[in-house]
Amino acid sequence: MIVNKYYRASSLEDAYSKLQENPRNTILGGGLWLKKIGQSHETLIDISSLGLNEIKDSKNEVVVGSMVSQRDFENSPVVKALFNDAIAFSTREVMGVNFRNLATIGGSIMGRYPFSDVITGLLPYDVELEFYPKQTMFLEDYLSYKGKLNAILVAIHIKKGQGKGFYKKVKTTALDFPIVNIAVSRVNGQYRIAVGARPAVASLALKAMEYINSLKNPSKEDFAKAAEMAVEELSFLDNKDASKEYRIDLAKVYVRRGLEEVNK
Amino acid sequence: MLVTFYLNNVRVSYDVRPDEYLAETLRSHGVKSVKVGCNETSCGSCTVLLENRPAMSCGILSASIEGKHITTVEGIQEEAARIAYFFGEEGADQCGFCNAGYALTIYALKRELKNPTDDEIKDYIVGNLCRCSGMQSQLNAIKAYLKEE
Repeated sequence: MIVNKYYRASSLEDAYSKLQENPRNTILGGGLWLKKIGQSHETLIDISSLGLNEIKDSKNEVVVGSMVSQRDFENSPVVKALFNDAIAFSTREVMGVNFRNLATIGGSIMGRYPFSDVITGLLPYDVELEFYPKQTMFLEDYLSYKGKLNAILVAIHIKKGQGKGFYKKVKTTALDFPIVNIAVSRVNGQYRIAVGARPAVASLALKAMEYINSLKNPSKEDFAKAAEMAVEELSFLDNKDASKEYRIDLAKVYVRRGLEEVNK
Repeated sequence: MLVTFYLNNVRVSYDVRPDEYLAETLRSHGVKSVKVGCNETSCGSCTVLLENRPAMSCGILSASIEGKHITTVEGIQEEAARIAYFFGEEGADQCGFCNAGYALTIYALKRELKNPTDDEIKDYIVGNLCRCSGMQSQLNAIKAYLKEE
C-alpha cells in the first residue's frame, strides 16, 4: 500500500472537499483492510475527530455514527436490545477484540466486503444509510449500487420494531472469514432473509421472503421450502474455503433454522 | 509528517510516512517488545493499548494517533510481571513471542470484564495467537491471575 498524504479533516465539508480533489483520495475508516487490499492512495482523509463515533437512541430508531468501532457497537446496551441481541452478536463474530477496537461500522459497510459479518447481520432489518452531502439510501440499495458512491457515510439508522433476529456465521476456526453467513429476522410480523459470503456480498432472498410472508401461519415444512427457495435464487460459488455445493447445503440448513428461531 | 502522541505516558513526536503503521514506528524507535508476527492484523503479537484498549499496532496508521495514548508492555511492568509469573506457573510460556501482546490484552481484560466466564475470557483473547501451545495453559494462567486480584 502506498499513501502519499494524510489529511485530518476539520469538518465534513472539509473532508468532502478534499475527497473531490482527486479520484485516488480516500476516506479512512478503521484502516484495517487498506493494507490487505494494497491499493495506492493519493490522500487518506481522517474523519475520526468529527464526532461520528456516537450511538444515539430514540423512540423509533438507533443511530450509529459511521466511526463507531465494532467493539463499541457490540457492547452498546442500545444495540444489544435490538432484536434479541442478533445484530450485536453478528459483530462479535468478527476476528478478536484487538481487531474490533479498531474496525469501524462505517468502514465495514462502505467496503461492501463479501466476507462481511456486519453487513449480513444488518441486512434483514430496516437500515438506512445517511451520507454527506445530504443523501439517504437503504442498505440493500447501497449494496447493489454500481460503482463508487462519491459521498461520506455519516450514520447508520436502524429502525426499531417488534421481533426477533437470528445470525449464524459458519467458519472453520475462530478467526476465519465465514464460509457462509446467514441472518434472518421477523420484525413486525415480516420475515427477511439475508445470506452473505457466498462468497459474494450479502443479498436478500426476495422470492423466499415473499413466499414465507404470504403464509398466515407457516409450518416447519413451509420454512424448509423457503430455505430451498432462498438457495435457489441466490448465487453461490467455489473458492479456496469451500465449494459451492457445501455453501448451499449449509445455507439451506441455517436459513430454515433461522426462520424457525425467529418464529418462536 | 510529524505525529505527537503519548507512549507509556511520555509525550513523543516522531516523523512518520503517511502509510506507516504503528508497529513499524514503535520498533524503529527501539520498542522491540512489540512483535510483528503476521503483519496483517490476525495474530495479535503486535497488540498495544490504544487509549487503554487492546489494538493491533500493525493495523493502526501512525498518523492516526495524534494526541492519543499508546501503552506497550514497558508501561505495565508490574502487572506484566504478575502475568508472567502465572504464565510460568501454568507452563504457558514457551517461545515467548506472543507474551507481550498477551500481557496487554489480559491487562485490559481485567479492567474491562468483571468476573468473566471462561467463554468471555476466550472471546477476549481469541485475537492473540500462541503457536507453541494449545491455549489451555494460557486460559489457566489468566484465571489464576484474575483470581489473585
